[in-house]
Amino acid sequence: MRTSDNNHRYLLWVALVTVSMALAMAVMLVLQLTQRQSIRQSSQVGNDSITAMAFQYEREFLRFRQELRGLVSERTAPDLDNVRLRLDILVSRLGLLRDNPSIALLQERPEYADVIPGMEKLVLQTDQLLSHDAPDLQALSGLLKDFNAIGPAVQALSIAANSQVSVLLEHQGNDLIRQNDLIIWLTLAQLIVLLVASGSLVVRHRKQVQQHLEWRQLNDNLIAANLQAENANRGKSQFLANMSHELRTPFNGMLGMLGLLEGTSLNAQQADYVTTVRGSASHLLTLLNDILDVSALDVGKMAVNPIPVQLPLLLHDVDALMQPLAKGKKLGFSMVLPPALPQWVEADGTRIKQILLNLVSNAIKFSPQGSIVLHVESDFATASQAGDSATLRLRVSDQGIGMDDTTMACLFQRFSQGDASISRRFGGTGLGLEISRNLARLMGGDITVQSQPGVGSTFSLELPMVCVPAPDAGLRVVAPAHADSSSLRGEAVHGLDILVAEDHPVNRKYMQALLSRLGHRTRFVEDGEQAVAEVRRAVPDLVFMDVHMPVMDGLQATQALRSGGDAAANVYIVALTADAFAESRERALEAGMDAFLSKPVGIDQIETLLQQRFGARAVAGIEPAMPACETPLPAAPVVLTPASASRRRFRAGDVAQHLDTAMLGEICVAVSLTGYRSLLDSFFSDESGSFAALVAALDSGDVGSLHGTAHALKGAAASLGLHAVASLASQVEHGGIHYSLDDCTAASLQLVALRHTAHSLCHRMGLTADTPIDTAAMRT
Amino acid sequence: MLHARVRFTISLMTALMAGIALPALALAPPVGKTILSVSGSVAAKNTDSAVAFDLTMLEKLPQQTFTTHTPWDKQPVTFTGPLLRDVLAAAQATGTSIKATALNDYQTTIPMEDAQRFDVIVAYKLNGQPIPIKTKGPLFIVYPFDSKAELQSTRYYERSAWQLKSLKIE
Repeated sequence: MRTSDNNHRYLLWVALVTVSMALAMAVMLVLQLTQRQSIRQSSQVGNDSITAMAFQYEREFLRFRQELRGLVSERTAPDLDNVRLRLDILVSRLGLLRDNPSIALLQERPEYADVIPGMEKLVLQTDQLLSHDAPDLQALSGLLKDFNAIGPAVQALSIAANSQVSVLLEHQGNDLIRQNDLIIWLTLAQLIVLLVASGSLVVRHRKQVQQHLEWRQLNDNLIAANLQAENANRGKSQFLANMSHELRTPFNGMLGMLGLLEGTSLNAQQADYVTTVRGSASHLLTLLNDILDVSALDVGKMAVNPIPVQLPLLLHDVDALMQPLAKGKKLGFSMVLPPALPQWVEADGTRIKQILLNLVSNAIKFSPQGSIVLHVESDFATASQAGDSATLRLRVSDQGIGMDDTTMACLFQRFSQGDASISRRFGGTGLGLEISRNLARLMGGDITVQSQPGVGSTFSLELPMVCVPAPDAGLRVVAPAHADSSSLRGEAVHGLDILVAEDHPVNRKYMQALLSRLGHRTRFVEDGEQAVAEVRRAVPDLVFMDVHMPVMDGLQATQALRSGGDAAANVYIVALTADAFAESRERALEAGMDAFLSKPVGIDQIETLLQQRFGARAVAGIEPAMPACETPLPAAPVVLTPASASRRRFRAGDVAQHLDTAMLGEICVAVSLTGYRSLLDSFFSDESGSFAALVAALDSGDVGSLHGTAHALKGAAASLGLHAVASLASQVEHGGIHYSLDDCTAASLQLVALRHTAHSLCHRMGLTADTPIDTAAMRT
Repeated sequence: MLHARVRFTISLMTALMAGIALPALALAPPVGKTILSVSGSVAAKNTDSAVAFDLTMLEKLPQQTFTTHTPWDKQPVTFTGPLLRDVLAAAQATGTSIKATALNDYQTTIPMEDAQRFDVIVAYKLNGQPIPIKTKGPLFIVYPFDSKAELQSTRYYERSAWQLKSLKIE
């Protein structure tokens, strides 16, 4: 506002100065023109100066009078022609004084009137006298007297002419001087205005320069402030990214120890507490991973790492992980697969799974009822060849609360959820979708959304894919970070000599428990230097090397070993680090490490890794050393399972879910442990045939006989405390009559699985000697 | 007049008899009163020292008439007379300048080239009337002032001699 006012005032001043200068110049121009005119006039007067004319007139007057005098006095010979000529010339001079345009000036003078009319009369008389051949000399003599008398008046006219011209010149001079004065004043005024104007311009220019400098300073300050803010922000992200390691390390320990705690004998209440802690910890880990992912995306550390991935297996994993979650909310979850789904594609399976889990868990979270469908579509031809590329579309549709346009607009933005009330109702970081979309874009794809409030939402993930051939069995495949138990296949590996280099005591303890449980001998060192020395002392089968360690880090230790040139140089080294970043992985592999595991490390991952590495030299019959920290199982001595026995992992709450421990205790009290064992043995060997009968009835779809057979099994299972089997049998007993053939098949499968789990649990607890036979595996 | 012709014939015959070629043909001497005498470097002398013109001789030359403003008259004036260059040619004048003298002894010098560059006339009529000595006659050297701006200056006004009596070629 102020600037605009100033500008207006400035323009007004400029206009004023310009107008006044222009006016002054116009006045000066007029004056110059007037001067020019008067100069021209005076020059015209000069052309035919009245002074000259008066002088000529006087001269001719005198010459004529001379001639006349000569004629009258007759002192000379009479030359009438000459007298006449002189008279004619005098007459012509007189005529000039009468008719010449410039003579007007002189005609004003009294001297003019005094002489001209008298002279004309005289000349006329003389002309008449001279026109005769013999002029009257007497009369001429009289006229001569008159000519003599008029002489002074003639001279007076000459003087008057002179004076008149002087007066005129003086007037003109005065005029010129006056005009000149005016011009001087005007010029002076112009000069002053010009000086003032240029002075103001200089001042204004200085002000502008000053202002410009200030603006530039301000601009620089703003740029600096912006840079500082950006640096601070980047610093924060960097800090979080760095904290990744610091946060994951204790988490690794905590989750590991929780896992071990679950494996110990806990009463129901303790188990419940542990389950709650595990749930909280898992949730915390999810949040932590989200935050770390976002910070990694911010600092550009997030990278996708495409490797050959088995697409159906990946989808199966998603299904396996999400199915229980959906069931828990009584929602349906199904997958629709296209006929032409390529087996192996090159992709970052971990990240794709992360996106899908985020989308599906969101759908579950925001659906009070209905079902969720994962549609998989692809452009791949039915017989896709390796090298074919196409777009894979994964659509997650729900029948949940949906969103309006406003909500959708800010959906993929950081920390934004549908609305503020949603974060209170549903929790979560609000980072999931941002991460998912950024990951999708990193992989060259995108996520879009369609939604209608109250109807449901559809999130579409589109990804470009390249079909690849199935990898060779021998190819080293780095264990996926989120491998679940389904990847646990094949033979177990035992009795390896493993060195763990880890500076954190909790993690050492955890690794010890974990590796001991898998039946391996473990050595420990606390830094890279010790690791190098220990490996050189006795080369182990495998080294787990923490990347971040004091004295010498894992990367340096690896390089030291690899450059050694001895047997220790070829030792198999697995990097352990809490950094999940791709570049950490790259650095580890560049340093010469063979594989990479990110913390927290699960027992499955280690087992998978060991199998891949040492599967060929599976060691049978070697008794694993019992870890010192593992609490022995109560009620029975630990039964060392032979290598051929299947090693089954159990989840927290498996015991509570499958076995009625109170009942179990009661039975033991009643019939002793031995008695209970024998009862269990006969149940699992199905001496009564009731299990086989029920399975047969289910498999054949004979719903009529279900009630009876299920009832028999229910009784037997319930009396032995196998309450999961008992409750399923009870369901079949009461609802089996309405079962469809599919229901029967499902129930049959579930029954076999439950019985197997119960058997495994009992076996693990030392209640049965027999190895459970995986009938489910045999059936498929 | 007769006398002059006889004298011319005699001199011609004398010249022929003497075998000397005449430098130029002299003009016939004026019959009437001489109103203009051209002296100096002239070849066609018809008097002892000059080429004398009477009015008739001037009237016989090609005539020119124009009307122009002058500093001496309030209205435009029409002048009639032969071109100065024709007069000079008739007199077989050769030289670089002409000194014109008026009856009142006024003298002015006219460059020879003026006669070629401008249609300067030796006027003997003003507004169709002979010019009396009592005004500006009998002869008046006039430049066509209105035909060219450069002629409207003191230089040419001064060269316009009136009451012209004689020309001297130098």
